[in-house]
Amino acid sequence: MTTLHLLSQSPFTSPLDSILRPLGVRDGLLLCGDACHALQPGSAPLELLEHLPASIAIHALEEDLQARNLTAPERVQVVDYPDFVELCTRYDKVNGWL
Amino acid sequence: MKFAIALFAPPHAPSSRRALRFAEAVLAGGHEINRLFFYQDGVHNASGGIVTPQDETDLAAQWRAFVERHELDAVVCIAAALRRGVLDTQEAQRYGRAAVAVTPPWELSGLGQLHEAAQQADRLVCFGGV
Repeated sequence: MTTLHLLSQSPFTSPLDSILRPLGVRDGLLLCGDACHALQPGSAPLELLEHLPASIAIHALEEDLQARNLTAPERVQVVDYPDFVELCTRYDKVNGWL
Repeated sequence: MKFAIALFAPPHAPSSRRALRFAEAVLAGGHEINRLFFYQDGVHNASGGIVTPQDETDLAAQWRAFVERHELDAVVCIAAALRRGVLDTQEAQRYGRAAVAVTPPWELSGLGQLHEAAQQADRLVCFGGV
């Protein structure tokens, strides 16, 4: 059973570590909204993400990156809305961290 | 694939826009939406009383247009709606209130509708927060 986890809260107001802990090794992560700030270069949240097992795919919503003038590191796949839908079909479940 | 989509945030929250763009992409991708469920502050998306400044995106109007265009099942949680004053004609009459905010295609109903939608869909995708 694999789960796609949707994150929209900023990692600076809602700590990432408690969210990342229950992640399965084949789960995926989609950063949208203020959660994209986790990709801020040199930040503690980015370091946390970079230490996730390589089997956990990390995605970020393109328009939310653009709105924040952020560039995705190599590890992170940039997705648009059609990709977002496709991701939901690729994983068994979708869990939104509200 | 069948998608149930639940929205917990009001139309001025970024997640309302995100949910709508996602819902559009679901249908554009050839999938089906078996139900949209508006819960907690998300009930405000169904309010016909919202007046948005002309230079801003009118998400409530966009949701209505989307639901009407695709003839979707769009359910608003009745308990969440009552406590926020988002009433339809029947509830306004029942509680003696003058203001009616919800008209078709929106429908006030219970939380059981979210449960049923989740059971019948292949995926439940929830949007909320920011």
